[in-house]
Amino acid sequence: MLIQCLNGLVYGALLFSLASGLALMFGLRRIVNFSHGALYMLGAYLGYSIATKLGFWPALVLSALALAGLGALLDAAVFRPLQDRDPLIILLVTFGLALIAEDVVQTIWGNDTHSLAMPALLAGIVELPGSSFPVYRIAIIAFGLLVAGGLSLWLKFSRVGLFVRAASFNPTLAAIQGVDTDRVSLMVVAVGAALAGASGVVAAPILSLAPSMAADILVDSFIVVVVGGLGSLTGAFITALILGQINVLGIVFAPEFTALLPFVIMVGVLIWKPTGLAGNRV
Amino acid sequence: MTPLLHYDAVEACYGHAQILHGTSFSVDKGASVAILGRNGVGKTTVVNTLFGIARLTGGTIRLAGKPLTRPRPYSAARAGVSVVIQGRGILQNLTVRENLLLGAATRRRGPWNLQRVYELYPVLQERADAPGTALSGGQQQMLALGRGLMANPDLLVLDEPSEGLAPVIVDELAVVLNRLRAEGTTILLIEQNLSLVERVAEDFFVLSKGRIVDQGKIAATGRAELQKHIAI
Ligand SMILES: Nc1ncnc2c1ncn2[C@@H]1O[C@H](COP(=O)(O)OP(=O)(O)OP(=O)(O)O)[C@@H](O)[C@H]1O
Ligand SMILES: [Mg+2]
Repeated sequence: MLIQCLNGLVYGALLFSLASGLALMFGLRRIVNFSHGALYMLGAYLGYSIATKLGFWPALVLSALALAGLGALLDAAVFRPLQDRDPLIILLVTFGLALIAEDVVQTIWGNDTHSLAMPALLAGIVELPGSSFPVYRIAIIAFGLLVAGGLSLWLKFSRVGLFVRAASFNPTLAAIQGVDTDRVSLMVVAVGAALAGASGVVAAPILSLAPSMAADILVDSFIVVVVGGLGSLTGAFITALILGQINVLGIVFAPEFTALLPFVIMVGVLIWKPTGLAGNRV
Repeated sequence: MTPLLHYDAVEACYGHAQILHGTSFSVDKGASVAILGRNGVGKTTVVNTLFGIARLTGGTIRLAGKPLTRPRPYSAARAGVSVVIQGRGILQNLTVRENLLLGAATRRRGPWNLQRVYELYPVLQERADAPGTALSGGQQQMLALGRGLMANPDLLVLDEPSEGLAPVIVDELAVVLNRLRAEGTTILLIEQNLSLVERVAEDFFVLSKGRIVDQGKIAATGRAELQKHIAI
C-alpha cells in the first residue's frame, strides 16, 4: 500500500512537471499546446542518445537546454504569429507538430523501445517497513517538488515572475505597463519546454522509450491543467498528486475503471466549478 | 520645438468600425492639455490607438518626433508615455506593492521609485501587501497614478481619472496633478469633469465623433462654453 502511494507520487511528480509548463503557456498565450507531450518525448530520446555518450547528468542538462531552444522557436514561429487567430488553429498546428515529432523520432531512433540507464548515484534501494523502494523513484518525487518549489519562488519573488503573473492575469494590462509580453511568453514557453524535456529524461529510466509515450502522458497532463484551473500552478500541483494516486491505486482496486476515472473527475469538477479547483490564476 | 505627442490626422478602427476620423492635436513638453468630449466620441480610442488596441489605419502618431509604427500595447510605456487607463486597470492577483513594481517594468530612470510613491500616498504603504483591488475607489486611483509615475514618464496620460470618485477625492487628485505639473511632468488629461480640468489643464481640445472640433486656452474660455462640449 505504501509502495503504491509512493508510485502514485512518482507519477504525480512527472505529471506536475509537464502540466506546470502547459499551465504557464496557457496562462500567457491562452493556447492549448498539443505538442507538449512530443517535447517530453523528444527530451527523453535526446537524453537517451546523449546519455549513451556522456552519461545521465549531462544528458539531463543538455536535453533540457535543447528543448528550451526548441520551445523558444515554437513560441516565435508558431504561438506568436497565431496568437490573435482562432485558438482552434494553434490546437491543430501543435497537433500536427506532435505527429511530425513522432515521425522524426521513429525515423531517427526506430520503433524499438530503448531504455536509459539511471545514474549510479541513485541506483540503490531504500528499505521501508515490510518492503523496499528504489532510490531513483524517490529522486523523481524530489524532482517534482524541486520543480514546484523553484517555479513558485521564481513567480513570487523575481522580476520576470511578477511579469508572468501579471501577464497571465491580463496580458493587455501587463503590456500597457511596459511589460514586453512577447518576450515574457518566449521565456515561459522555453521554460515549459525545458521542463517537459527534463521530465522526459527523468522518466526515461523507469519507462521504456517509445514514440507512443507522448500521447499517453499528454492526456493526463491536460486533465491536470483543466481540473487544476487553467493557468494555475497550485491547482495543477494538487491535481497532479491526486491523479497520480488515482492512477496507481485504481489499477489495484478497480482496474477496469482506471482509464476512465480521470475523465469522470474532470467532467465532475468542470460541472461543479467550471474554472477548475483554483480558478484562473497563476 | 517638436511636441512630445503629436496626432496627425489619425484614423483608427476596431475591426471594421472606424472611430477616429482624422484626429489631430499635440501636446508640448511641460504642457498640461485636456481632451474633452461626450460619452462615446472616441476619447478612450485616442489612447487605445497608442496601444494598438484600436488599429491605426491612417495618419501618424509621433512621440517626441518619432513616428509610432505598428503600435503594440507596450510601445507607449517603452516610449515614455504612462497611461492611467479608464477604470484604472489594477491587477487583482497582485498586491498593491506588486502593482506599483509592475509600473517600473520599463526600467526608465528618474525621480520616481517605490519610496517616493509611498511618500506621496502613505496609504499605499500601509496597504502594501493587500490585493490591489481590495482598496477603495479613491485609493485605487492613487495606486493607478502611483504606478504610472513608477515608470518615470515623459508624458502622463489620464483617462477620466475622476470617474466614480467623491468630490473631495477629486480635489486631492487636482492638488497632486498640479504638484506633478510644477515638477515638470507633462500631462494629457481626458476628462468630463470640468472642475478638475479647470484646475489642472491650460489648453483643451474638444473631440466629437472622432474629430477635434474645437480647441483653446482653458483660462480664456468660460465654463458655459466648455460645458456645451460635454453636456449631452
Ligand atoms: N474594444 C472595442 N471594440 C469595438 N468598439 C469599441 C471598443 N471600444 C469602444 N468601442 C466603440 O467606439 C466608440 C468610442 O468609444 P470610446 O471608448 O473611445 O469613447 P469615450 O469617448 O472614451 O467614451 P466614455 O466617455 O464613455 O469613456 C463607441 O461607440 C464604442 O462603442
Ligand atoms: Mg472613455
